Amino acid sequence: MLWVDKYRPKTLDQVMVHQVIAQNLKKLVMEQDCPHLLFYGPPGSGKKTLIMALLRQMFGPGAEKVKVENKTWKVDAGSRTLDIELTTLSSTNHVELNPSDAGFQDRYIVQEIIKEIAKNRPIDTKGKKGFKVLVLNEVDKLSREAQHSLRRTMEKYSAYCRLILCCNSSSKVTEAIRSRCLNVQINAPTEEEIAKVLEFIGNKEGLQLPAGFAARIAEKSNRSLRRAILSFETCRVQQYPFTSKQVIPPMDWEEYVAEIASDIMKEQSPKRLFQVRGKLYELLVNCIPPEIILKRLLYELLKKLDVELKHEVCHWAAYYEHRMRLGQKAIFHIEAFVAKFMSIYKSFLVATFG
Amino acid sequence: MSDIRKWFMKSHVKGNGGELKPTNPAPSHSETLVQGGQESSGRRKTSKYFATDKQKPEDEEETKELPAKRKTQKDSIESSKPTPPKKARNVEDDDDDFLLPSSRKNLVDVTPGKKLKSGLGRGISRKPVDDEESDEEDDKDTETQKSGGRGRGRRGSSAAPAGGRGRGGGRGGFMNFGERKDPPHKGEKEVPEGAPNCLAGLTFVISGTLDSLEREEAEDLIKRHGGRVTGSVSKKTNYLLCDEDIGGRKSAKAKELGTALLAEDGLFDMIRASKPAKAPAQEESKRPVCKAAPLPKKSPQKTEANKDSVSNSMEMKASRGLTPGASPAKRKNQTVEKNTLTWPEKYRPKIPNEIVGNQSLVKQLHDWLAHWKEQFLDTGTNKKGKKQNDSGAKKAVLLSGTPGIGKTTSAKLVCQMLNFQAIEVNASDSRGKADAKIEKGIGGSNANSIKELVSNEALSVNMDRSKHPKTVLIMDEVDGMSAGDRGGIADLIASIKISKIPIICICNDRYSQKLKSLVNYCLLLSFRKPTKQQMAKRLMQIANAEGLQVNEIAVEELAERVNGDMRMALNQLQYMSLSMSVIKYDDIRQRLLSSAKDEDISPFTAVDKLFGFNAGKLRMDERMDLSMSDPDLVPLLIQENYMNYRPSSVGKDDDGIKRMNLIARAAESIGDGDIINVQIRRYRQWQLSQSGSLASSIIPAALLHGQRETLELGERNFNRFGGWLGKNSTMGKNRRLLEDLHVHLLASRESSSGREILRVEYLTLLLKQLTEPLRQLHKDEAVQKVVEFMNIYSITQEDFDTIVELSKFRGHPNPLDGIQPAVKAALTKAYKEGSKSRMVRAADLVMLPGMRKAPKKRIAAMLEPSDDGFADVNADTLAENEEENSSDTEDLDSTANGEKLQLELQSLNSKGVQVELDLKGTGNSGAKKTPVGRGKGGSGSTEKKGGRGAGAGAKRKR
Repeated sequence: MLWVDKYRPKTLDQVMVHQVIAQNLKKLVMEQDCPHLLFYGPPGSGKKTLIMALLRQMFGPGAEKVKVENKTWKVDAGSRTLDIELTTLSSTNHVELNPSDAGFQDRYIVQEIIKEIAKNRPIDTKGKKGFKVLVLNEVDKLSREAQHSLRRTMEKYSAYCRLILCCNSSSKVTEAIRSRCLNVQINAPTEEEIAKVLEFIGNKEGLQLPAGFAARIAEKSNRSLRRAILSFETCRVQQYPFTSKQVIPPMDWEEYVAEIASDIMKEQSPKRLFQVRGKLYELLVNCIPPEIILKRLLYELLKKLDVELKHEVCHWAAYYEHRMRLGQKAIFHIEAFVAKFMSIYKSFLVATFG
Repeated sequence: MSDIRKWFMKSHVKGNGGELKPTNPAPSHSETLVQGGQESSGRRKTSKYFATDKQKPEDEEETKELPAKRKTQKDSIESSKPTPPKKARNVEDDDDDFLLPSSRKNLVDVTPGKKLKSGLGRGISRKPVDDEESDEEDDKDTETQKSGGRGRGRRGSSAAPAGGRGRGGGRGGFMNFGERKDPPHKGEKEVPEGAPNCLAGLTFVISGTLDSLEREEAEDLIKRHGGRVTGSVSKKTNYLLCDEDIGGRKSAKAKELGTALLAEDGLFDMIRASKPAKAPAQEESKRPVCKAAPLPKKSPQKTEANKDSVSNSMEMKASRGLTPGASPAKRKNQTVEKNTLTWPEKYRPKIPNEIVGNQSLVKQLHDWLAHWKEQFLDTGTNKKGKKQNDSGAKKAVLLSGTPGIGKTTSAKLVCQMLNFQAIEVNASDSRGKADAKIEKGIGGSNANSIKELVSNEALSVNMDRSKHPKTVLIMDEVDGMSAGDRGGIADLIASIKISKIPIICICNDRYSQKLKSLVNYCLLLSFRKPTKQQMAKRLMQIANAEGLQVNEIAVEELAERVNGDMRMALNQLQYMSLSMSVIKYDDIRQRLLSSAKDEDISPFTAVDKLFGFNAGKLRMDERMDLSMSDPDLVPLLIQENYMNYRPSSVGKDDDGIKRMNLIARAAESIGDGDIINVQIRRYRQWQLSQSGSLASSIIPAALLHGQRETLELGERNFNRFGGWLGKNSTMGKNRRLLEDLHVHLLASRESSSGREILRVEYLTLLLKQLTEPLRQLHKDEAVQKVVEFMNIYSITQEDFDTIVELSKFRGHPNPLDGIQPAVKAALTKAYKEGSKSRMVRAADLVMLPGMRKAPKKRIAAMLEPSDDGFADVNADTLAENEEENSSDTEDLDSTANGEKLQLELQSLNSKGVQVELDLKGTGNSGAKKTPVGRGKGGSGSTEKKGGRGAGAGAKRKR
């Protein structure tokens, strides 16, 4: 089993990183009254882990007996009926789903399906909570309409159903929803915390960690605990007796993005743009989410960029990232960003060096 | 899809066009004037029955004024053998089945032609006449041309089909191309420009390979200068154009007839010489040419024609045809009186040969109809070995083609020709399903009367058929059978099955969904658009008949603009005739700029135009039209290719900054287009579609139009097809695969992360875990370790492939590199082995008791921790299942198979057994291998291809 999963804390008490939050959550649940919750924080900070632990705290070990269902719902959308397919993870007391998987039909998920699930009140309430928990992932990816529908659902069924929302950035969740939830911000763990966890795992696994090795991984991990543990294990697979100089292997796609970035920096021409497009397609085809590509690309570019341009380039990256969200064909927008960057950078080069 | 089909069709048509061309040799200009609307053909067949005798003298006189006409090379092929022009031909023509009826018809045809419109019944009267006629006609040949207009008509009628494609090789035929060598000095000589009419009236025959011109070029050159090119040498031929004496039939004949030989240089000289002299006179000369010659001749003919018209109202047309050339004044009068009919009606072909293009189809139709009786009624005398293609095999025929190319006309004409009485039912009649009881509805609904008609023919069969009119049912516009005509198609099919009379169905789009069932019962004849030359010829005749002065280029332009629609061309022509009597190229251009018929241009053409060097001169609405020609594909093509263009607007741009800036702007605009597109599609804001194509196509094209350059070595310098579609579908596929993997991981209960996280963060490690041991450790140990890992996470063999697939990047080494094939094989084996005792905690399409929606539902896993005892029971029962199934697999298709499994699983479930099973593999690959291994754990690697496909298929099914 992968270490990430193996050493995932199962209860709120086991949590190593966000202990304060965990304790507060525990108290919250103990008092029998659980408001809607909105967890937000960067990836790899432990939101999911906390949510699972919280559910276990609420419903006992039964919460871990989950089953995965891939269901197709028929939704009546005015003139036609839609078939919406969705994977859900459910136990007797909770249902977890990812409404943004339905793409632009997410509105119907929120309107119909959540309603349907929420309506089914658990019959056997003796000694247990009188409500079901609905865990919605990636709420920040919900379309505006879906979010609007969501707030009504939240109020109407609050007696039987608690929502736990989970997202990366609360800024993409509408004000209305945020105000209906108890917002729980999960910060990314600090590098020290990460290093501590890594050393803990190393101990458990009986590994010899060279001094500073854990810190190096933590540093590379971009403060994502999951990332850190995964690359820790990757290192382990790659070469065991660790050496202090050991390279920490990057993710395959990050490597590729870095290549693209250096391509762009080397030459700014239509020809190069064309090659970059091919590589971007390659990434997209391999299911790397376009936002992440764009973000990573910006990160790689900024590393090599002159200070005076950084601000402008960041501006354009944000601009195109926003447009990407409005649009549908991500490649167009990433390409537009690359073209824009090339145009800016080229002018800059010519202006500076003649 | 249909668009793509259209492009193919289009090029096809073009290809054919070349072939068709020869079919309609052009008559001389002056002849046309005389002949009126009748189509005539300048080919040798022409003279078959009568025309030759009188024609010859005429032609001799006329030669001087013959303006340019289309010519056919095919003639040369055919005509090379029949040296004595008339007699030999007569004989030859007589063998031609098709020819016979039509040629005989000539005289009579004038009559029927008109009646055609008014309907049926004329066939009866015609037949007897026809019979006598053939004899008479031969006599007539010797007389002077009695009725000019008609005579020509006859001639035309006999000529076209005979000469046509039926015989094979046309000039444009691909086959012939190969045979001729390239001109030795191709393109080396300067082609002279002469006065437009300097060769007027001269007839050329081209033979062999010329020095510098391709034959087509030479033809074009001659025609451009008013000369006429024919395919074979005859007395009319003035020059035989050849550079080397190849001693073929043409030159032999030329020698025999004393035709002058002319070398290419000689031709050039002629043209050059004309230049100063004739250039100014050009406009002048044209009129006299047209008018002067016909005049003397015309008088006898005209009187004749008039006489006819007295006796026969049909003659209107002939007389009209004659008069216009005579004097403008007269023409005026006539226009007034003839305005009662629209031209398309008036000049509707009266004989098959007048139909522009598609002669072979008409012939096929003719054959079919002619043999219908024998084929389907007189089974006793069934002729099996017909010499034509076995077109009679179907009981009905379906003519398809774009509007205005003469489908209905052909159908009617053929009926007429064979003395069938045509009953036409079109969209204006209700064509719903007939009442079940025929008796009820006679006289009432149209459908019922059809039914009656169709089934009752049996009665008349018994009677003397020669006396009785045979009937044909023409179902026009069958693709228009819709809402009101409920069950129309089905009923029609039923009618076809029982029919005792031939049924001709006509439609525009034979690929229409509605016609899918009908198509199986019909012989399919797809009419193609006539080439512009074919149309031009006919239009020219009509224009002349109406007294319009139209030059040939103008007519061709018109033909091109209307995109094959003869009816539309005539309407345009008639409209223009109201205001002007001389129509020039520019008039047509101007007129049709606005009223051009919508034609479908391929997205590639549209993009080419938008990006073209001169695209800056396009008007906004033109650009809009181009980009709207396919609002989905054009933006994609633009997006794919915009960076290939070197913008012509930037001027000097040494370091490429300006271009880069423009590209950035264009890219942003394309992004805008995408955003607008989302608004359009998702929120149905269709009013934005113009802005959409503005942003996604027009702005980028306007910024970057210019010269295209290649960006990649070895790339062809043409616009690439948009890559997005392909990439997007690959992405979709990969996403599905990833989702499968994700579900399996979730089902393993070991991980609960989202799909994206899985891809972005887990995948690298998963891959390492799966492949590193194979590389580093000893085989058995490695395999064991990997299989163990796979089991923990419920990773199937397919998921393994998915992981590898998603980790491949172009330009990076394949993640499986460095793994010995033997190790891979061992892994597969070990995995399959393990699968016997393994429970994969994922299942598809399992029906659970008490769940009504079960088939719609896919239960990936049930995670009740199951103890080993259960698992064993499971394994056993499943094994049984599989055995039962494997026998069924062959004949059951995948769905059925799946359902069956479901049922069985259901029974298992009711026994309280926990079933965890992956049915994905039972898809289409079921028949290939025993489903045993697959049923439990996904397929082994030998079947992984199929298994994957099946997985995808299953997914789609859901």
